[in-house]
Order: sequence, then C-alpha cells, then structure tokens
Amino acid sequence: MQIVKTQQDATLTLALEGRLDTLTSSQLDAEIQGKLDGITSLVFDFAKLAYISSAGLRILLAAQKVMNKQGSMVIKNAGPEIREIFDVTGFSDILTLE
Amino acid sequence: MKINFHGLAFKQSAMILLGISVVFAALFGFGSSQIQERMSRLLLQKGEEISRANVAVINNLFGSCRNFGEELAVKIGDQQLAGTELDDFLLRSLSGVRATVPQVLAVVVAYEPGMAPKGAPEGEYMRLAHYTENGNVITDGGNYQETTWYTSTRDSMKGIWQEPFIGQFIKEPIVIYTTPIFSTSASGQKQFAGVLCVDISIAFLKDMVASIPVSNNGYAVVLSASNMVIAHPKDEITFKENFGSISKSASRKRFDEFEKAVSSMKSGLFLGSSFEGDEAAIYFTAMETIDWTFMIVWPADSFLEEQRSVNHVFAWISAGGYLIMLVIILVITFRVSRPLKTLAAAAEKLGHGDFDTEIPEVKGKDEISQLADAFVDMRSSLKEFVDKQKGLDRIERELEFAHSIQMGILPKDESEENCCDSRHSLAPLMQPAKEVGGDFYDFFKIDENHLAVVVGDASGKSVPAALLMMVSRIVIRTVAMHLQSVTEILEETNYELARRNKSVMFVTAWMGILDLRTGHVDFASAGHNPPAIRHKDGTVEYVKSKSGLVLAADEKTTYKQQSLDLAPGDMLFLYTDGVTEATNAEEVMFGTVGLQKALSESGNRPPVGACHFVKERIDEFVNGAPQFDDITMLAVQFIGSKDNEWEKHEIVVDAKLENQPSLTQFVEQVLEPLGGSMKSQMQIDVAIDEIFSNIVKFSGANQVTLTVETCKSHLMARLSFIDGGSPYDPTSAKEPDVTLSAEERSIGGLGLFIVKKTMDDVAYRRDGSKNILTITKKL
Repeated sequence: MQIVKTQQDATLTLALEGRLDTLTSSQLDAEIQGKLDGITSLVFDFAKLAYISSAGLRILLAAQKVMNKQGSMVIKNAGPEIREIFDVTGFSDILTLE
Repeated sequence: MKINFHGLAFKQSAMILLGISVVFAALFGFGSSQIQERMSRLLLQKGEEISRANVAVINNLFGSCRNFGEELAVKIGDQQLAGTELDDFLLRSLSGVRATVPQVLAVVVAYEPGMAPKGAPEGEYMRLAHYTENGNVITDGGNYQETTWYTSTRDSMKGIWQEPFIGQFIKEPIVIYTTPIFSTSASGQKQFAGVLCVDISIAFLKDMVASIPVSNNGYAVVLSASNMVIAHPKDEITFKENFGSISKSASRKRFDEFEKAVSSMKSGLFLGSSFEGDEAAIYFTAMETIDWTFMIVWPADSFLEEQRSVNHVFAWISAGGYLIMLVIILVITFRVSRPLKTLAAAAEKLGHGDFDTEIPEVKGKDEISQLADAFVDMRSSLKEFVDKQKGLDRIERELEFAHSIQMGILPKDESEENCCDSRHSLAPLMQPAKEVGGDFYDFFKIDENHLAVVVGDASGKSVPAALLMMVSRIVIRTVAMHLQSVTEILEETNYELARRNKSVMFVTAWMGILDLRTGHVDFASAGHNPPAIRHKDGTVEYVKSKSGLVLAADEKTTYKQQSLDLAPGDMLFLYTDGVTEATNAEEVMFGTVGLQKALSESGNRPPVGACHFVKERIDEFVNGAPQFDDITMLAVQFIGSKDNEWEKHEIVVDAKLENQPSLTQFVEQVLEPLGGSMKSQMQIDVAIDEIFSNIVKFSGANQVTLTVETCKSHLMARLSFIDGGSPYDPTSAKEPDVTLSAEERSIGGLGLFIVKKTMDDVAYRRDGSKNILTITKKL
C-alpha cells in the first residue's frame, strides 16, 4: 500500500492506494500515531483504495476518536465496496463520508 | 263411433255378453227341459186317464172271448160230439156267448183228419156256426189244413190271437182266437184233435176310438201285434197302414225305441211320428188279454204349442234382457274407456315432453277419476323433475368448465413452467375422481438452482374443494416469489388461508425445494403423506418426516424445516392419498406397500414412465371399481451434473502474518479463471485477512491449511481454514453493537462480523484436534 501524505496548514490529507489490511494497517498507523497534533482537519482519500479490513477500520476509528476532540475527519471518494463495509459495520454513522 | 276391436271396451263387452249368453242358454235349456218334463208328466197323466177305461173294456171283452174259446175247446174235446149234436152245441154256444158278447160272430171247429169223432166223415171235418141277420146258422167248410190260423195253432199247441183281417162273409174287421182241441185216446193219452176258432168282430173298436175325447187334437189308435192299425178315427187308415212302416220312413231309430219301450213297459210316453208322418207324442198301453197296443196320439203341433209359446215368451224375455244388458254394458264400458282414451292421449303427449298438455277432467270419485288426479300430479312432478334436470345439466356443464380451467391451471410438464434443466427430470400425473377435484400439484423454479415441488389435497369434494385448491396453489406460488425457505412459504400460505377460512376447510401439502446442484432437498409437510424415494439401485423408501398441522386450520401454525439428500439418479415421488387409498371391489386399499412395490418395479423408468407405471398398477388393482378420490402424482428425478463437481486446491503456510499475501495470491490464482466479480474477490480477500490474522493471533497453531474448492458451473468458492490450535468457534462469538458511537466502540469481533456479512455461508466445526472454518461465496 502506498500512502501519499500532503499537509496544508492544519489540514492533513492522506491518499491511500492498494489494500488496507492487517499487514498494511501498521503502515497507516505509523503515519498518524502521534502526528495529528495541531491538525484540525484530517482527510482520507480512498479513491485508489482497493479494500479495507477490520484492521483498517480500527485505525479509522482511532483517528476519528482523536479528531472528534480537535477538529474534523472526512473520508473522500470511497468506492462502493468500501462503503458497503462501512454500512455493514455501522461505520457509516461514525465517519463523515464525502 | 269407431269400434276398436282390440280396445278395452270391446273386449270387456264381449266377455260380459259371452258370460250372459252362457247363463241365458243354461236358463233356457233348464227351462225347456223343465217344461218338457212337465208336459211329459201331464201327457202321461192324460194318456193314462184316457186309456185306463177303454183298455179295461177291451181287455175284458177279449178276455171273455178267450175264456169262452178255451172252455168250448175243452168241452168239444171231452164230449166227442159229432153230427147234429155238435152242430146244436155250436149254435147253442154261439147264442150263449153273443148274449153277453155280441161281437162274437162265429164259432168254428176244424178237426185234424182222422181225429174227428165217430160218425163224422173221413178226412177234413169242419163245422162253422155263425151269426146272420136272420139268426145263427151252421155251415160246412174245408181246405183249412194249410191255413195260417190252423197250422200256427197246431204247431204252438196253445191258444193264439190271430192277426185281424176283413171278413169274407161279414165285411167287417174280425179277429180270431184259435185254440187247440185235445181228445183222450183209448190208452188215455192226450192227443191234438183239431182247432177251435172264435171269430170276433172288432168294428166296435173304430167307433170306440172315434168316440174317445182327447184334448189337443189327440186321438186314440189300436195296433195289432204286427203294428197294423186296426182302429183309427179315420177309415182310410184302418187296416191300410202299418205303424211300423210309417215310423220307419220317419225315423227307424225312433221306431226301434218305440218297440223297445212297448216290449219293456206296460205303458209309457213316446215322442215319435204320427201316421201323417208329423211329430207326435204317443202314450201307449200294452193290453193284457191280447198282445195289442192301445195308443193316444197327440200331434206335435198341438201339444208342443204350449211349450213353444212358453219358450217364445222366455226367448223374448231373454232377448229383451240381453239387449238391455248390452246397452248397459256398452254405456258403462264407454264411460270407462272414453276418459281412459283421452288420458292415454294425454300421456302420449306427456311422453313427448309436452308438459302443458290438458289432462281431461274426470268427475266422480271412481278409479278413473283417481287415475286422472294421479296424472295431474305426475305431470307437475315430471315438469318439476325435468326443470330440475335441466338445472343439473347446467351445473354439470359448469363443473366441466371448471374442470377444464382447473386442469388448465396445473402445468402439464416442465416446459410450461420453463423448468427444463439437464440436472433433473420431472413429471406430474393427475386423474380427478369427479369433474373437479381438490388435489393439486405444482413445480416452479425459485432461482437458477432451486426447484420447488408441491403436492396438496384440499379437503372435501367438487366445487368447494376445487376453489380451495386453486386458491392454495396461487397463494403458495405468490408467497414463494419473495420468500425462499420452505417453512416460510408454508407458514405464510397457512396464514393467508387461515385468516379468511370461514368454511372450516383445510389443505394438506408437502413442499420441497431441491438444490439442483447438490440434490439437497429442504422440505416441510402440512399434514401430508410422506413422499417416497426410489433410489438408483431400485430400493424404495418413504421419507421420514415430521409433519405440521394442515394448512388453513390455524393462523399461527409453524412448520419444521427438514431435509434429505438425493443422490444422482434418485427419484422423489410425491402423491396424494388417492393413490394409496385406491380401493378395489373387495374394499382392499392399494396402500403404501402397493405403492412401494409398484415404484420398485418401475425399474429405472424416468418420472413420466414411472407415474404411468404406478397408474397402471393402480388400475389393475382396482379392476374397474369406481374411483372416489383424485389420484395425483409428481415425480422428480435428480440427475446432477458433472459441472457440479467441485475442484479442490490446498495450500499450507506457517501461522505467520507475513504469509497472508501468499494465501491471498494463491486464492486469487485459483479463482481467477472462474471469472467472478471484483467485488466478490475483494470480499474474499478481506475474509482471508480477517480469518488468517485471527488464527495467527489467537489460536496458537503453527501451521494453517487452506483448501479452496470451486464449482465452475455455479461460480461458487468454498474456503476452509484448518488449524491445529486451541478450539475456537468464531461463529459463536458475540456480535458487536454496530450502532454505538465512535467513543463507545471497541474494535474487537468486527473482523468476523464483516466476514459473516459478506460471505454467503460461514460454518465452523471441530474435527478431532482441528478447527475447521469454512466460508462459501458466490463469485
């Protein structure tokens, strides 16, 4: 999985490409863990993400919990397969999907 | 009036008249014989009265003459007189007898030659003293030896009355009594000496008979011994006619009868001919002193006149009575037969269906009027019956119509339902008992791989059963469109039927859904007979199933889903109780044993052939006995397909997270040629990720074996994760609450939750020391 990271002021945008699963989720975790200080807007671009497993959801949940305290988090361009996972697991209600 | 000679009137009249005729004839005959008998008695009486005195006079007279002759013959024989002594004696005797019997005309002695007393001339010696108007004189005579009177007396040696004749000297009828004279010889022997004759005039007889008054034109007649008429009121008949010859000419038989009667009886009545040859009644009396017959003759004309007049009166009365009877009979008969005729005409019209025909009104209270009343009743009953029959015809036609609709709604074969499929073969067979029945069957595909089969039997018969059957079938079909489990379908159907079931009817049904890929059948029964399975090897068994309540009985009924598995070649045979309860003339049922035997003997026939084979066996069994219930069968044979075979692949990896990509890669390689959707592939990858990571993290196993089974024809994949770790059933884990907010959420259990949600089936089992988790996914 590749992660393209762009920061503009307090907005951090992470564009993911490939699979977000047990193995690759640690990669994303490393990009976020302890690096959200000062960030008020976190944006995930899932346009090129093939799929997401529960390990990925766990990171998204953790990030959402952090951003609930200091700003907002938005997931952009999620494909129907990923949206379905969100729907099934109730993440659609927690996350902000655009 | 036209007379029908075969009609009741004519026959009856003829029979009655015949009877009356017989009675009249008998009466007439009896009356006639009575009259005749009375007449005969009367004539007998009359004849006797008239005859008695006259016969006594004649008897007396001839008796005196006979006695006189006998005495004289004895005296002459004893005294041996001759010459003048003899002459004087004869003259004295003649004068003496004539003093009392003036009819005596002469006394004659004729000696046998040589037997005359002494002093008499040789040869013939005959002395004759006879009466003349100038006194008695004596004369001589001769040539007597050959005369009848002499020879007959000499031959018979006794006194004889000779046949009367007309005298030579005195021209009047004379009868002679001749008797032999005996002399005593010197030796004392009695010898025939000659014949003594007494000549008696019988002219008085004519006067006598003429003077006898006889009523009814009757008259008296005297006959000689040879039936010569010697006294008759008419001169021309006397001594000229012989009664025998007259009677003979009339009727020989009658004369014989007469002679017989005269010889056997002293007196009697005889019906014969008069001297004129006419019918006559004759009273006769045989005389004692002379063998003559005294007769009183009544010509038939006169004596029968009375009888005839009585008969005429009787005949007239009879004829009159006969006529009156005839008229009465005809009147009665035609009175009876005329209404009968009109009734017959009315009946004929009725027979031709003219129920408005006028029934003739018959007055009175006799049998004919009762018959007419009965006719009126019959007409109205017939009319009612025929109207009803017309109604029945209509109902029957409508039933036939309903039957055709009903049969039309049931699919005849698979092509109608677009169920044709190489993986199975199916055939129904139905023979309704009446025009419309309560049995039904159905088959339809729920999806590509699932075939539903149903057999049902609505309670009751005829139209109500047919209506319920059609409704049931439609509801099952409709419900099956959005429900996939057999229990749901039956429960929903039951609910729909039960909640509007006001007529307390019910339906039994057996429904199965066959997975055409595997031969697996999910089924449920609503009080229906368990179906039979004919295995490929020919053995037949009944499906063991637990049945729920019949449909439409209770809205809340639930059904238990059961299952069975058909091997390729097995045939599932559904039927209704019309099959097992088909009954023969001995009231024996075909039974489950009979069905099992028939199916077993159907060999490897496909469903169509098997159904017909069973039907033939049932027909043979009942042998023409009437069918009381619908006979319904539905046979479905599972054939299977080579495409159904599952291809199996396996990979073994160490239980380390870094091996996950190789698992994913392996699975992708296996599934790629099947050409499934990207989404399915992605979901499978997620599932591999979740399950493998779980095993690695929690099981403690060293190795994980992954088998991948694919079915090309159905685009199915089955992945089994096998590990030797501690027992763990992830399917039993508590599902996460997906409605909580982000802060409340714990992340555990979410992975397997995703797997359950995205896979078609997730199953866990523990096999010995191994955990086996299998996921199935349509690609």
